[in-house]
Amino acid sequence: MPVGGMWGSDLVDIRPEFFQVMKSPFSEEKVVCVKALVPDYAILHVQEADIYGNARILGPSYQDVLMARAAKKVILTTERIVGTYRMQEEPKLTAVPHMLVEAVVELPGGAKPGICYPEYLTVDWDDHKAYQKAVKAGEVPQFAAKMLEGRL
Amino acid sequence: MREKVMSLSQATDLIQDGMLLAIGGNAMHRNPTLFSLALTQKPVKELKVCGAAPGIAADILFSTFQADTAYFGFFGLENEAGLAPGMRKAMEGDEPKARAVEGS
Repeated sequence: MPVGGMWGSDLVDIRPEFFQVMKSPFSEEKVVCVKALVPDYAILHVQEADIYGNARILGPSYQDVLMARAAKKVILTTERIVGTYRMQEEPKLTAVPHMLVEAVVELPGGAKPGICYPEYLTVDWDDHKAYQKAVKAGEVPQFAAKMLEGRL
Repeated sequence: MREKVMSLSQATDLIQDGMLLAIGGNAMHRNPTLFSLALTQKPVKELKVCGAAPGIAADILFSTFQADTAYFGFFGLENEAGLAPGMRKAMEGDEPKARAVEGS
């Protein structure tokens, strides 16, 4: 797809498999074209979703809205399932619409040991250190089993 | 509209070998961490991940060598959380088990 930026970036030269310069079909202007990645799924953790997959993101959305539209389908984990009336009251706040979504999993604490504004605002350092140790020991599946107890 | 609520285990069953996953959130923020941890309980392999700043949820999949390729701009956990230990583990050594395609 053509993009307006990228001029001046070395990436255009060092990643020819992703960036190519072409002549505009409308003028003599040169345009950078970027190869599109098409994810099979976007995996997003959100604060609110309804049972149909309409989702709200509170706070920064990062690239999640773009990812939801670039992927073939979306899997949502959500801090809580809310009534669809929430989306109907303020439709513009729906970041991911239901037709893009294949699965909704109610999963409070789904971003732990990381942060999910405004539900939990700091890293859970004990669990994070346990993760780092598990990586070194090759015991992440065992760490995961402990974190997921009763939640699968 | 169709109801799509399912268990975490049912949702992870949707992921098949070799799929490309876009991982939401940023570094330690709003990452789908428990979803990735649930994937470590399944035999799925050869996953590819992408994101502007994949964080701990992507790192988990490299720590178990279930993911083998990352397309990204920045890959780390940021601030006090430091580097991405799983990705580092997968990439270091004479025979790296992961391919990092930064700037993609």
